[in-house]
Amino acid sequence: MNVNLVAKSVVTAIAASVMGGAMAADVVQKNDQWFKDGQATLQQKLNTPRINGMAKNVILFVGDGNGVTSNTAIRIYKGQKEGGTGEEYVLSYEQFPNLALAKTYNTNAQTPDSAGTASAFLTGVKTKAGVLSISENVDRGDCQAALKNEVTTILELAEQAGKSSGVITTARITHATPAAAYAHSADRNYEDDSALSDDQKAAGCKDIASQAITSNVDVLFGGGRRHFIPKTMKDGEGKSGKRTDGRDLTKEWVGQYKNASYIWNQAGFDALNTEKTGPVLGLFNSSHMEYEADRAKDKGGEPSLAEMTGKAIDILDNNKKGYFLLVESGRIDHAHHEGNAARALEDGSAFADAVQAAMDKTYQEDTLIVVTADHSHTLTMQGYAKRGNPILGLSVGVDGKGHPSDKPNLADDGKPYTTLSYINGPGAVKGERENLANVDVTDLDYIQQALLPMSSESHAGEDVAIYARGPKAWLMEGAVEQNYIFHVMGYAAGLVK
Amino acid sequence: MRVLLAFLCLSLGSVAIAAEPLHFRDLYGRGGDYSVIAKEKQGQKIRVRGYMAPPLKAQAAFFVLTKRPMSYCPFCESEADWPTDIMLVKTDEMVDVVPYNQPIYVTGQLEIGTQVDPDTGFLSKVRLVHAEFETAQ
Ligand SMILES: [Zn+2]
Repeated sequence: MNVNLVAKSVVTAIAASVMGGAMAADVVQKNDQWFKDGQATLQQKLNTPRINGMAKNVILFVGDGNGVTSNTAIRIYKGQKEGGTGEEYVLSYEQFPNLALAKTYNTNAQTPDSAGTASAFLTGVKTKAGVLSISENVDRGDCQAALKNEVTTILELAEQAGKSSGVITTARITHATPAAAYAHSADRNYEDDSALSDDQKAAGCKDIASQAITSNVDVLFGGGRRHFIPKTMKDGEGKSGKRTDGRDLTKEWVGQYKNASYIWNQAGFDALNTEKTGPVLGLFNSSHMEYEADRAKDKGGEPSLAEMTGKAIDILDNNKKGYFLLVESGRIDHAHHEGNAARALEDGSAFADAVQAAMDKTYQEDTLIVVTADHSHTLTMQGYAKRGNPILGLSVGVDGKGHPSDKPNLADDGKPYTTLSYINGPGAVKGERENLANVDVTDLDYIQQALLPMSSESHAGEDVAIYARGPKAWLMEGAVEQNYIFHVMGYAAGLVK
Repeated sequence: MRVLLAFLCLSLGSVAIAAEPLHFRDLYGRGGDYSVIAKEKQGQKIRVRGYMAPPLKAQAAFFVLTKRPMSYCPFCESEADWPTDIMLVKTDEMVDVVPYNQPIYVTGQLEIGTQVDPDTGFLSKVRLVHAEFETAQ
């Protein structure tokens, strides 16, 4: 019965599309621009063929903490920065033809962390919060057990297939999301050897930074220098290292591979010869790289996420067999944790620019690009602001006739409020809510008001979007488990059979 | 806090209004160096919005002002990083501590140059002296 019903509806749909033109009634709104745009989108989608070849290259973009609300706010922010009203703006990856929703929970957590989620989309299996690319039956921190329960990552599979690989982030390169691609660890905090006990070291457990330099990755760009150099050593910007084993991993890196280079500032980055260089380790800050909004003030100078993405592709595509590249905008998440929407939106805009850089440098016929977030945040976009109202501003609505007002909307306490706020975080204060009438809420350092007082705003547990373009991108559809992302990438590139 | 505020309104009200509002971050240039603005405003009264970092000691006539609340994420960080762009605020009275996430406005005389506090050993590069603060209402 069910089968028949489905069959019947398919037949009806085919009949409708075949006879579409002749059967269609003329509608009075047909000359309305919205109508015409809708029709144009429909035609474009009808004419979009499924790309079914093999993905020679796979690029996975992760906007850390860039949930659906965050993404909408970034869209409006970027659109307004470029002179529009904002709502209608299309972010680079929003042009992708295929979309799915990912369920982000970890095996032991309803609301996940970045370690468990990155492990899921990079290895194809979900695991516990806080652990990197090991199976779920290991307790967090049990590094001996972890040694026997490592699971293979898509980056390792790409390397085994003779492809090149790269990992880029604006956070520390040893931070959860990037580390899950090349390292296996019972705890995301084992970023250098000082975090491991003597017993753990004796048992053969390895810190994340030391795994980075032995993992066969060809391009590593990010922050986190302190985890690669000894405590007794100062880096190019005058900051001390954290390693207690005396190893200088930047030096080991250069000595270990043919034509390998280590760079730490904009000048070194600009001087890279993408056609001739061997493996590159670029560590542009002691800890995380700067927020995009603060990047110009960095001492040694730092490349943008888009610049890093472009250069990495130029290096990786020298390999005729292709590459796997992970690009993380790591600090959308950090700004949200600070309750500081302005920096999150600025980093989000830079994320969209990085995806655009990859779109410009690749062909959709041979390169699968997947864009997603690992988890969401408690950011909410609320109130009845008028069209084009500054996304970081006070909520200003429309009057009774629907015309734009110039007076802020007031809550029942008689005070104005911002469109963006958080459910929890540092923006929550005891007692009376601050009157925002005379506060520059669009300021870069402004902390949005919040309900629950927490020193760090938290992750949120709702689904995140997955956008895809390229070979087998059409497999990204429906509401899927987050670990499914790995399976599409692996299938598209012929890495998993 | 209320005492301080009343004091501010009564005796320093006019100074507070006269003090030029500045963005905290504008005092720092590239790599934590002093900005042109910081050099220009040296010795002058300025007013900034910021947050009081949790105090180094309970009873003091100073506190550290941060441009954003000193929060850190237990999931992201194994330890909190002290930001480079902070300001030492020296008050004439004992500080009535407010929560680290309460926005405050601080008015004081801008002082720049590296200084190590003889009592606490605290190193500062930018200070507001003879400062008063009020919570944002
Ligand atoms: Zn986070």
